[in-house]
Amino acid sequence: MAERKKRYALVIDSRKCIACRACAVACRAENQVPLAYTRNWLNQELRGELPHLLAISEPEQCHHCAQPACVRVCPTGASYQRADGIVAINDRECVGCRYCMIACPFDARFFREDRGVVEKCDLCKARVDRGEMPACVETCPSKVRVFGDINDPESNVAQLLTTRQFRVKKSEAGTAPQIYYLL
Amino acid sequence: MNRRRFLGFAVTGVAGATLASSVSYLPWSSPEKTAGVQRKEIPTTCEMCVNKCSIIAVVENGKVLKLNPNPESPRSRGMVCARGNAGLQQVYDPARLKRPLLRTGARGEGKWKAVSWDEAWDFAASKLSEVKQKHGPQASIWSSTESFAETFFKSLGLAFGSPNVERHPTLCLASVNLAYSLTFGTVPSFDLANAKYIIMSGANRLESFIMPDTVDLIGSTTDRKARLIYLDPRFTVTASKADEWYALRPHSDLAFILALINVIVTENRYDKQFVSAYTVGMDQLAEHVKPFTPEWAEVETEIPARDIRRIAREFSDAAPRAVYYAGRRSSWYRDDFHMRRAQAILNAIVGNWDRQGGMVPNAKITLGELMFLPWDDPQAPRVDDMDKNFPLAAKGDGAYLKMRENILAGVPYPVKAWMVHKQDPMNALPEQSKTLRMIEQMDFIGVIDVQMSDTAWYADVVFPESTYLERHDPIEMLAGIQPVVVMRQPAIAPLHDTKPTLEIVQGLAKRLGLSQYFDYTVEQWNEAQAKDLPIDAPLDYLRKHGVWSPPDGPKYGATLTPDHRFGTESGKIELYSARLKQFGYDPLPVYTTPSQPPPGKFRLILGRKAFFTQANTTNNAWLNTFQPENRLWIHPKAASGIGIRDGDLVQVTSAAGSIRVKARVSEEIRPDCVFTLHGYGKKSQWQRLAAGEKSGGCDAEIIETAWDTVSGGGAFHETFVKVTKV
Repeated sequence: MAERKKRYALVIDSRKCIACRACAVACRAENQVPLAYTRNWLNQELRGELPHLLAISEPEQCHHCAQPACVRVCPTGASYQRADGIVAINDRECVGCRYCMIACPFDARFFREDRGVVEKCDLCKARVDRGEMPACVETCPSKVRVFGDINDPESNVAQLLTTRQFRVKKSEAGTAPQIYYLL
Repeated sequence: MNRRRFLGFAVTGVAGATLASSVSYLPWSSPEKTAGVQRKEIPTTCEMCVNKCSIIAVVENGKVLKLNPNPESPRSRGMVCARGNAGLQQVYDPARLKRPLLRTGARGEGKWKAVSWDEAWDFAASKLSEVKQKHGPQASIWSSTESFAETFFKSLGLAFGSPNVERHPTLCLASVNLAYSLTFGTVPSFDLANAKYIIMSGANRLESFIMPDTVDLIGSTTDRKARLIYLDPRFTVTASKADEWYALRPHSDLAFILALINVIVTENRYDKQFVSAYTVGMDQLAEHVKPFTPEWAEVETEIPARDIRRIAREFSDAAPRAVYYAGRRSSWYRDDFHMRRAQAILNAIVGNWDRQGGMVPNAKITLGELMFLPWDDPQAPRVDDMDKNFPLAAKGDGAYLKMRENILAGVPYPVKAWMVHKQDPMNALPEQSKTLRMIEQMDFIGVIDVQMSDTAWYADVVFPESTYLERHDPIEMLAGIQPVVVMRQPAIAPLHDTKPTLEIVQGLAKRLGLSQYFDYTVEQWNEAQAKDLPIDAPLDYLRKHGVWSPPDGPKYGATLTPDHRFGTESGKIELYSARLKQFGYDPLPVYTTPSQPPPGKFRLILGRKAFFTQANTTNNAWLNTFQPENRLWIHPKAASGIGIRDGDLVQVTSAAGSIRVKARVSEEIRPDCVFTLHGYGKKSQWQRLAAGEKSGGCDAEIIETAWDTVSGGGAFHETFVKVTKV
């Protein structure tokens, strides 16, 4: 039997996010990201007037688009997509031209001045290859992020996407983002 | 940077890895690609806050790379919070304590001399002996906060002959503990994982520190559709996730609770069977709460009477899966104890005791004890005179603020030496000028810590403890609905000339002639403690797994038998407390309308952020980045009234002191309150990121001294401040 193709994705339930920043620090440690940069971030917003206030806290990182613009524009092939959907950067091929940063609809990439290369979230591919969860997913106290293979109907992510309503950001960019925000 | 230069970097990096295995950590190399890497995963226990989550340290070639959650711990719920993840910074911070230090300049001047352990011990022991000889052993204070090795430090103080072991609860949850103890005979846990209806006063459980209750609460409110009613003058993260948030008038929580009881009693909504079987004092309670109608409470709290009535009905309908969450947090007001007692009484009458989704007496795991030579009990009375001032409070913990008052007044005797174990009274105590005066009158101050805290900054000798990733500690049992035993073992050898607490204590004990009381190793201690655990080779198990918990899961209802005796005087749950009356306190919670800030002033309230542990981690670079300075939260209406715009520098002045911070004009706080985060404006220049005015202001300088009259717990919301534009 032919092996089914994996397609990793993140499902994010922002209602559960308590803005504790565990994901940001776990990522920093796991991926040795210097303080000047971050691979994931929180979009925070406050609306209304006392006492009718609404606070939104929404984690975001690279969307690992199915049609990644960053990969398309990369002149050296440094930005690439794995068979399982993870979009990553091969350091040794990156020339630091930063076309990918312009192409990314989510501003998920940053240029490492100290190294001359572009970096971003790669879903902790080394951990994933060992069978572990990405650091941001594993460490989260309230389990905001769910990681898995959406091509596997038994997976948590697939289950959530069949039972819950969701949205993706900037679908008009045509990159088919793979972070699904539950409504 | 061009490609050529980048390649140059890469080549250098690879060469470095081949030549020197001790520096094989390349900031940009994927660990698994580096040949010959020794990857170890060591289960141990976090120490970035007091929750003691189980973690797994990932170590490669002697360097800790990552701290992962240990999924085996039912207590840490498979998570590591931001602080837990930032534990690496504690170890690898270049400004951490690395070797014993002796002060060479004036106190607080920051001039230090690195010395050997022998020199540090000799110096401290000679100073302590001098004080003992001149003033007696009671002239020393032994301050500590909760940690696995605290027991060794406390023992040294007691063996030295001082009754003045001063622990943290009166800066923390002393009033909660005492109120629940006097009502139920024990302090229970709250089964937030199974509760259907939760009311919470200011405890900000989703943000103030990340613990099992945090995880359970967010899970309950989202996945399990529990209802959360939250009361707080400030819009916290918990408020933002609550089903209903009430920015009640500060200091009126007790009025709200009394009105809930009033509705539940007058509408006969209490659990009559439970109340008659397990409690005493229902008649007095019913009589007592008669005047406290929702309409009365609306005036006090500014919460509409119809909402109070509805909440009371919903709460009693949801019981026993309904809880009024007790704490944690410090005391807020001088009558804080009575507010906590009212919560306890409300919980009792709806019969949520020892029921799933209610309050559950903590389960424990029995540990063995190492037999060591006992010392004579200290002869002198405590300097805080607990018997006279707080006769019902936990005497062994002391009452921090009363202690400081008495020391400054020189009663009942002079105190001239202060030993501090991993506590930072300079920040933890209100009215810092008084703490500084107390420091001035000490002949000797010795501090054990992992970092140069503000208190260490004023010490004469600083003993550097090895960080939690570099040392063994005593194993510890953590009681709870699901109790655990946890192990702390080193992930790496100490990077610097540091020692674990037991060895620091032993070095001092030897020079103070007290060696006979500390004649054991931490391994012997742990063997004795673990020997009765119902598993094979318990210490080996803990070394391998880091945590053990009884496999049979939570149990409910063990105390719900007719012959169960509660640990109270009557043996029942005491709604009415004869013991309180006997000691001259109100036997039922009495509400007094609180004073409000006079025109032009604001009530200063305190709170926490999820990425900081009190003042402890504001200098941690990975955490400080989320908030490099503290600002003063002030409502737009209040701000415009005094001509303050967002970002303006303001002077905040109370009777205790004055600080400068920038204003954060926001809808997230009532117009009669202001708030600022703790742990900034530090004195210690080794806490570079959190020190000085650039980081904001130090709240300890402006909080006025007040305490809860029954428990002695510091009351931290009793300060009115004036705010002016600089």
